Amino acid sequence: MPVLNSKELRIVGFLCNWCAYGGADTAGVARAGQPTDLRIIRVPCSGRVDPLFVLKALLEGADGVLVSGCHPRDCHYAAGNFYARRRLEVLKRFLPVLGIDDARFEYAWVSASEGQRWQHVVTSFTKRIHAMGPAPHFDDAKPLLRVADMALTALRPLGTAQNAAVNELKQVIKDKLPELNCVIGWQQGYDGAHATPLFMKTPEDVDKLSWGPFNVMNPAVYLPLFKGKKTGVVVKGCDSRSVVELLQENLIKREDVIIFALPCEGTLDIARVNEKLGRYTRINAVAYDEAGVTITADGKEHRFCMNDFAQGKCYGCATPMAVLADTRLGEPHKVNPVSSVPPELAMLDDMALSERMAFWRGQMERCLRCYACRNACPMCVCRDYCVSDSRNPHWMSQDADINQKLFFQTIHALHLSGRCTGCGECQRACPVGIPILALRQQIARAVAQLFDDYKAGLNPAALPPLLGYEAHEKNIHERDWK
Amino acid sequence: MSTIRILASDGLPAFLSFLSQKHQRVLVPVVKSANKRSVIFEPWRAGMPVVLEKATVPPKEAVLPQCETLLTYKKSKNQEDLGDITVSLDDTPEALSTAIFACRPCDARGFRVLDRPFLNGLFPDPYYKARRESLTVFTITCSSGCNTCFCHWVGGGPSSPEGSDVLMTKIEEALMLQAISPAGEALLKDCDLPDGRDIFPRAEAARKAAWASLAPAPDLKQAPQKIAALFGNDDFWQSQTSGCLSCGACTYLCPACYCFNITDEGDGFGVHGGRRLRSWDNCMSSLFTHEASGHNPRMLKTPRMRNRVSHKFSTYPENWGTFSCNGCGRCISNCPVSLDIRAIVLAALDNAG
Amino acid sequence: MATKKTKNARAAEPLPKNAVRNCSDRPMPSGNPYKPAVATVTEVIHETAAIKTLRVVLDDPAVMAAFHYEPGQVGQLSVFGVGESTFVINSPPSQKKYLQFSVMQAGEVTAAIHRLTTGDKVGVRAPLGNFFPWRDWRGKNIFFVGGGIGIAPLRVIMLHLLERMADYGKISLLYGARSPRDMAYSYEIEGWLHNHDLDCTLCIDAPFEGWRHKVGLIPNVLLNLAPDPTNCIAVLCGPPIMIKFTLQALEKLGFLPENIVTTLEKRMKCGIGICGRCNIGGRYICIDGPVFTLKQLQALPQEL
Repeated sequence: MPVLNSKELRIVGFLCNWCAYGGADTAGVARAGQPTDLRIIRVPCSGRVDPLFVLKALLEGADGVLVSGCHPRDCHYAAGNFYARRRLEVLKRFLPVLGIDDARFEYAWVSASEGQRWQHVVTSFTKRIHAMGPAPHFDDAKPLLRVADMALTALRPLGTAQNAAVNELKQVIKDKLPELNCVIGWQQGYDGAHATPLFMKTPEDVDKLSWGPFNVMNPAVYLPLFKGKKTGVVVKGCDSRSVVELLQENLIKREDVIIFALPCEGTLDIARVNEKLGRYTRINAVAYDEAGVTITADGKEHRFCMNDFAQGKCYGCATPMAVLADTRLGEPHKVNPVSSVPPELAMLDDMALSERMAFWRGQMERCLRCYACRNACPMCVCRDYCVSDSRNPHWMSQDADINQKLFFQTIHALHLSGRCTGCGECQRACPVGIPILALRQQIARAVAQLFDDYKAGLNPAALPPLLGYEAHEKNIHERDWK
Repeated sequence: MSTIRILASDGLPAFLSFLSQKHQRVLVPVVKSANKRSVIFEPWRAGMPVVLEKATVPPKEAVLPQCETLLTYKKSKNQEDLGDITVSLDDTPEALSTAIFACRPCDARGFRVLDRPFLNGLFPDPYYKARRESLTVFTITCSSGCNTCFCHWVGGGPSSPEGSDVLMTKIEEALMLQAISPAGEALLKDCDLPDGRDIFPRAEAARKAAWASLAPAPDLKQAPQKIAALFGNDDFWQSQTSGCLSCGACTYLCPACYCFNITDEGDGFGVHGGRRLRSWDNCMSSLFTHEASGHNPRMLKTPRMRNRVSHKFSTYPENWGTFSCNGCGRCISNCPVSLDIRAIVLAALDNAG
Repeated sequence: MATKKTKNARAAEPLPKNAVRNCSDRPMPSGNPYKPAVATVTEVIHETAAIKTLRVVLDDPAVMAAFHYEPGQVGQLSVFGVGESTFVINSPPSQKKYLQFSVMQAGEVTAAIHRLTTGDKVGVRAPLGNFFPWRDWRGKNIFFVGGGIGIAPLRVIMLHLLERMADYGKISLLYGARSPRDMAYSYEIEGWLHNHDLDCTLCIDAPFEGWRHKVGLIPNVLLNLAPDPTNCIAVLCGPPIMIKFTLQALEKLGFLPENIVTTLEKRMKCGIGICGRCNIGGRYICIDGPVFTLKQLQALPQEL
């Protein structure tokens, strides 16, 4: 806090050494008056600004964050600011889902000679932050719990895949087995209402393969572990997008993976199934029909219609069949291509910023930091070297507080920018049911809006948008600082 | 016969308020509604709705918090002689006297598993001790088993009193409270609940019925030796572990897991001083045993799972004479890929080699 | 008001036989085992490019005067704000003025230790762990084999035995390092070479200009030296790969597993047998070790 004026707010500025920092210097040399709220951190390039810098500052109490670097095409390192522009724009569109006003974060291009422009940018940004006042904190929010409306209409008929060609698929896999290290699929788990991953090495293993609404796990998560060994994988449509994304990022090789696919008719939301089943000692039977399953638990029958009990992601799924496969058996249902907002994201869209902050406060409180979300994510390939565990750089402490827990979720979400295929494994894996998928979905939505409706994991040849740039960005427009 | 009281369903808030006069916090299970609903222990406040369900997360936090400060340190300079520096350390335990209301017998037995290494080892843990000694455990007996629990395999049961101070059994809408420990005895004598001795037979019957609902338990007597003998059998552990994601859901939801990490936070000797934290750690993570040199005795998930299962069913029993698994089944029901520790133990028992 | 509880029922539970560790002869810290004693660095010695030796004095003179440990016991050295790591106290117990730790830079804490200078404050939790059973070795020949930083624990037990030369037979040391520049305690080695009570052999991995001693890997040099295994205890410490091949060499020479002693290290946090990462099967290096005989290790699961 300043000595003379306690009305100052905390604004953090990340300034590129070559342009913006020079611009600030120029302004200073010219004795152009500037607000003193800004705390400047000099960085080599705006491309060096990890969006997490901004988030960490905002989560730890900054009232505003300003990133400034060279004008596009003027980057000292040729393209650093082009990459920065994409990342920072995605970040800007991500902040509101957390309950943080995106007006508290801004990026601007200022060259070393533009002392006046710098003065203008920093003054108007500071004015804006002052108009907004001190930033609200997650710690102060009153926890809010709200459940997403799951009365949804699917883009295609959901069912239990009774007519899927499982036996034919088993034969195909058996034929291919000799040339493969193993084939990943599903089998029945500890009871008829739970599946567990299956690693098929022998024909007897293949006979255990199951296909149906309990196959919730995404087998693509294991593929990077088998790098260099030719491995087969049985996929649902959503799983195949993870495989494609892994291929897009060269995390696996096409020649190392054989993809087997059947049309998916949706999977069950086991959490909601369990809630309806309540406490039971054992499952007596699981009976399938076209539209749903009937689970008999402790002698009592419970009916689960797929239309009512599918996973949230299944309602909006437009890829019931693998987008890439070596063996496809059967035809998927036709998809009615209507764009839809996923349930949790729709719930957040309906909330005010302060409610969203209260919502995440209420949700993240119970996070145990077990990192099931991270480890279940097929795209989280640096698992053992995650920044969450890193001491150098020291991104996070072990404190069990809201900010640390939420910060990890933002790290995960931002690292998945343009990479997340929406498989929802993070959320499904969460033992305490925190709807973290919504954060990834918001980023996916922003990426789609900014980059020609780009969706991760549809085309093995496509470059993930945050790994590239355009000199002229169609949908990212410079702010008006006039 | 120990003191027995009866608590009518509408008397619950009054009783919890009685408990909060005796303790600095009373942890009760509350529902956290979300698409995937969970039940979490939280400090009770007047008006808070309590659910008498088995919690998603056991109340282990009461004795071993997810994160706690072991020490704070600060440096001060002698103003007369600036070279003269003193470091002051504060190691006061963060220990609120706590009552846990309505945990399950498996959760209560979890405290006993933790007691042995934390209290009976070579070095008693003062932080744990401070919390444990001011802890009162009100356990509600289970009226039936659940699909993943197996408490009766490992020495517990739906009405096991081990680790509890008061054992409660639901009879219709009321709760029968039975004192188990002297502390429970004192509390029940002190409260103004009516005597419940005449309904004790009904509670007994309910407990028997719960036992009867369980499938027969396998004999695990040979498990410690069998699992130890399997140590070098990589194929066995590989086949049991292939689906594991190496996350911490199983360990963090386990009432009997107690591995921890110690890290320093804060700016060391800077103006704010620093803190040494103890936080839960997860033996399924590769970093758990990763040494600075890069060497890692349990680099792969196979030896890590082997260590976890061995600790629960072989090496903890070797050291302390009993399993460090209470059969609560949370690791099974919350495993993202539905791995089943029961199956691993049974496979180990079956394994001839 | 908190309820007062009787915990007698809890303490009464009989413990299984193997849980009872005989630690009665072992010096141990008292009070809160997590609370370090504050100490001041009095001297920093640059041993090699990667190794520094720290001499520290506990700030409380009474605690320092009463501080007692056995050779082979370890301490948790902490840099406040960074963390703790385990190192052997390598000054002989007879030396009462300071505690000496030799630290090779490897990770976060060791890097911070390397940044320490005279006058800096550190924390010390010590003594922890077991020690070399030197009393049982009386009347025997002792052969020390140390590789690299593995010389540190050998230094303390070797100096301790040399002070009691009358009780022991021949004491020998084979100390190997990658190159002369990687030899710690170079300022003491000349004295060791000239010590009539000590048969000291030095070796380096590859020829080096001006090197007057042996060249070769430790196991090979050891085989050439061919110490007589009768009535002899071999004590070794070094990197895992050296341990592996030196054990083979010692067995070839006829040393029995019970006469081969080593001191282990693993990642540790609590140092008091709870936190769960330094175990080999049911034994914990921090309380059942760090000193083990090969025979003891052979009875444990092979997970080093």
